[in-house]
Amino acid sequence: MFAVLALVWEKSVDIFHIKPYLLPPLSKVLTTAWSSRAVLFRESWITTLEIVQGFGWALVAGVALAVAIQASAFAQRTVYPLIVAFQGLPKIALAPLMVVWVGYGSASKVLMAFLFAFFPVVIGTLGGLASTSPALLEHFRAIRASRWTTFRRLHVPSALPAIIDGAKTAMPLAVIGAIVGEFVGSEAGLGHLILEANANGRTDLLFAALLMVSAVAGLLYLAVELVGRRVWWRAL
Amino acid sequence: MTASTSVQADAAISVRGVAKTFSARHEVRALEAVDFDVGLGEFVAVLGPSGCGKSTLLRIIAGLVPSDAGGEVKVLNRLQVDVSDQVGVVFQTHNMLPWLNVEENLRLAAEVRGVPPRELDPRIEELLVVLKLDAFRRSYPHELSGGMRQRAGLGQILALRPQVLLLDEPFGALDALTRDQLNIELLRIWQEMKKTVMLVTHSIAEAVFLSDRVLVMSDRPGRIIEQVRIDLPRPRSNETKAASQFGRYVVHLNELMGVR
Repeated sequence: MFAVLALVWEKSVDIFHIKPYLLPPLSKVLTTAWSSRAVLFRESWITTLEIVQGFGWALVAGVALAVAIQASAFAQRTVYPLIVAFQGLPKIALAPLMVVWVGYGSASKVLMAFLFAFFPVVIGTLGGLASTSPALLEHFRAIRASRWTTFRRLHVPSALPAIIDGAKTAMPLAVIGAIVGEFVGSEAGLGHLILEANANGRTDLLFAALLMVSAVAGLLYLAVELVGRRVWWRAL
Repeated sequence: MTASTSVQADAAISVRGVAKTFSARHEVRALEAVDFDVGLGEFVAVLGPSGCGKSTLLRIIAGLVPSDAGGEVKVLNRLQVDVSDQVGVVFQTHNMLPWLNVEENLRLAAEVRGVPPRELDPRIEELLVVLKLDAFRRSYPHELSGGMRQRAGLGQILALRPQVLLLDEPFGALDALTRDQLNIELLRIWQEMKKTVMLVTHSIAEAVFLSDRVLVMSDRPGRIIEQVRIDLPRPRSNETKAASQFGRYVVHLNELMGVR
């Protein structure tokens, strides 16, 4: 499938006389990618770190918040509506503010990745916690399990499949967040490279950067998928 | 055939004036004041139509649901205010965690109640053999048949070594054949382990086959309309059901429940 697509790309540039600055042939993109590999890998690494950090914090904070909401009626009434209201806000619009608040460096990108990834994790975890079987909850009461034991041995494993699903939604969003953050103001990263290549009319380099973005996104998603397979009862 | 409500000195379970009204949107009287005793080592079946409040009664005795004011439940002469360590409850839906294998599931309840591994290990080995689950100790619940799951669910509670066993139609979701088999196994285990059992069921034949005494409950609001002592010899087997006496009990209970 990929081979066919690559062939169509390569040949259509010749056949339809598409100008190279609009769509460079694949071969040109690949040679550029090879000759600029040092730059591409350096920028990819920077962006990857931003994504992973933002995603990681979103996972930790999202799960923690969902647990708090589930455990306390107070949090349910106060924090939850706030989060839902916040979710309605297009987070892209926050990117300039983040740069103003935490600066041009990688922190503002981590923050953007975090904001994009946070909500799906919260929703996934909440759904997972709520899906705990009432029959098993009663069983845990009947065997005199403490709240902590019930949480650890029943709620957490029950919620894990939904947390994994949330993480799978969150990871590609974290990629978007980091790239958007770099677009708005940055000195490094794949988003920065894309803007720079665009400004210099280097469409070949731009495409090479795009390929790197999808490679990074794909690998990170695969990582979540692989970790998720350890929660095998998800498939039951 | 009929036994009176006599107070037994060696009662394992003593129920006095237990009633229950649920008030959600409108009030529903689930249980009318109920009194009865279950003797030590006795096997008592509570028989009633679905929705008669027999499961509620079981939950009150287990300490999972409070009785209305004025009601009192004693288990082994201790007032039942919360679930106690002497009581084990098996519900109709099996109680196994999908992410634990059979052995881990069997250990679950006892681990939660803090039984040290030293004591628990031999109990689990014994139960795996008694319940014929030895070959499946590493299997997960979804890999087992319904009968095996229910056996393992019972095993998890037996591993607690409870003095009093409360069973809420534990085999109710199974086909008739598997159910009969498990009932025979249940009797065998009960006779070996000398526990007090209270079983809730809507099957007349099951109640007669298993128990020493059947408490018949009315439609909602549930109350005990009759107690029938079952004088069938033990150990009971499939031949027990062919005895004419067995049939007479079934007919009698049928009449009692049909009147309602």
